[in-house]
Amino acid sequence: MALNDSPSAESDSTAKITVKKVSTAYGSGQEAVQALSEVSVSVDDGEFCCVVGPSGCGKTTLLRTIAGLETPDSGSVLVDGEPVTGPGLDRGMVFQEYALFPWRTVRGNIRFGLDRPACGCSDCERRVRKLIDLVGLDGFADSYPKALSGGMKQRVGIARALAVDPEILLLDEPFGSVDVRTRDRLHAELLDIWRETDQSVVFVTHDIDEAVMLADRIVVMDSEPGTVQSVHSVDLSRPRDRTTTAFVDYVARIRDELGSPTETGC
Amino acid sequence: MSVQTDTGNSTDSVWASDARRYLRGLGGLAVFLVVWWVGALLTQPSYLIPTPTESAVAFSELFTTSTEIVVPVVDTNLVLPTGVAHLTETLFHYVPGLLIGAVCGIGLGLTMGWSGRLDDWLRPLIRLLRPIPPLAWIVFAIVWFGIHHTGAAFIVFVGAFWINFYGAYGGVEGVSSELTDAASTLGVDRDLSMLKLVALPSAAPQILTGFRTSIGRCWMIVVGAELFGAPGVGYEIINASNNLAMDTSVAYMLLISLAFLCMDVGFRLFERRLLTWR
Repeated sequence: MALNDSPSAESDSTAKITVKKVSTAYGSGQEAVQALSEVSVSVDDGEFCCVVGPSGCGKTTLLRTIAGLETPDSGSVLVDGEPVTGPGLDRGMVFQEYALFPWRTVRGNIRFGLDRPACGCSDCERRVRKLIDLVGLDGFADSYPKALSGGMKQRVGIARALAVDPEILLLDEPFGSVDVRTRDRLHAELLDIWRETDQSVVFVTHDIDEAVMLADRIVVMDSEPGTVQSVHSVDLSRPRDRTTTAFVDYVARIRDELGSPTETGC
Repeated sequence: MSVQTDTGNSTDSVWASDARRYLRGLGGLAVFLVVWWVGALLTQPSYLIPTPTESAVAFSELFTTSTEIVVPVVDTNLVLPTGVAHLTETLFHYVPGLLIGAVCGIGLGLTMGWSGRLDDWLRPLIRLLRPIPPLAWIVFAIVWFGIHHTGAAFIVFVGAFWINFYGAYGGVEGVSSELTDAASTLGVDRDLSMLKLVALPSAAPQILTGFRTSIGRCWMIVVGAELFGAPGVGYEIINASNNLAMDTSVAYMLLISLAFLCMDVGFRLFERRLLTWR
């Protein structure tokens, strides 16, 4: 698929998501912080796109803007050519700190989006059971989030987002608080799910290694004032192996670009 | 179950430590009774402090004698054991005051916590009204309703209102924006649904704590209101002391304590069932 390195990503008709010259500032006057400055990105249909960059580079703001949880000061976000005006069921979101409803069981959390009247699904119960199965939580359907480990919580978060069958999956550093071994397994599971569902994925992370492991394309962002620095296609076959030279090269190249090699992991 | 400390088994030692705790509690009660007794025997004139036995006899008399009370609204007469009769009289204004106060307080707390604009409008007014002790409203209770069930219920209402208001208000203010964000990406797009599906369950622990606190606070308030003349256990306390029957006053105090304990324990059980997810 076409690569949209250039800031003028406007007239791409095949894009699932088009972010056009989006600028967002927090605060006002002297203390205003420019989170995003004329950011343009596009994500193709069915593409797995990772956004990396140091903390404070606006990557989470970018994701939240695509989700419709933030309104940009200028510029626009288009999904299938239609401007985004607020959150919608076509865009599922997975949160960094899980954001599970603690008063609902695993089943209840996954069901949340299906209980809306807007959802006409006639066999919700079966769908929920399939999702519990898909994320490997059978046996925990009636547990409350407090009883789950971080990895399990995020599985629920993913299943909950998938329940309404969104065309786009947005993930905000979803595995940041999960231990390394669990993270590797979750990566593999997420890729399996993605292959099965044909969704377009935007995955925000500060971990370059994670981005190279997952992405078709990596958008590198730079802080101050939140701009897209470069875009890389990752031409590695899956499953990917961190120890291959090609993999290491990708990681090194992006790390170099982000500047000081010791700090980019943060 | 034994009180031995040297059992190796851990469940045994939990039992043992529980048993020790209960025994210590009983010991504390026993010491208090002895101090009370000795104090009462040494104090002259003797009516100043009734002895535990005198109080126990007076307490039992609350259930061996009977009294006729008037049921408000339906206006029929009812004969009940004296203690139960006066407790019932108290409940006639305690329960409506508590429930109506809680419903109004929680309702306003939820809407104000949720709507920034309403919050702006009402915050100064609430700052001003909140510090007024509920009992200070007794003057209005008297001129508006007369000092009877309605007047006392009004005072209880005021007390219940504020505690529940702050429980709900704080609870809704503390709803994490991550949860509302998650809900809106899952299709919740109306304020009312967000309130029902996210804010209310998320604030439930604080709302329930507020209500439980108001159960106790309203007992204090209700007794205060009755000291001004509304019928009920509080009135009986002062009525008995006017006749220097301090043992009867103590009996009614004990009755209030037991009534409160029953309600508190009952509500705690209900709360625990409702909040199993915590």
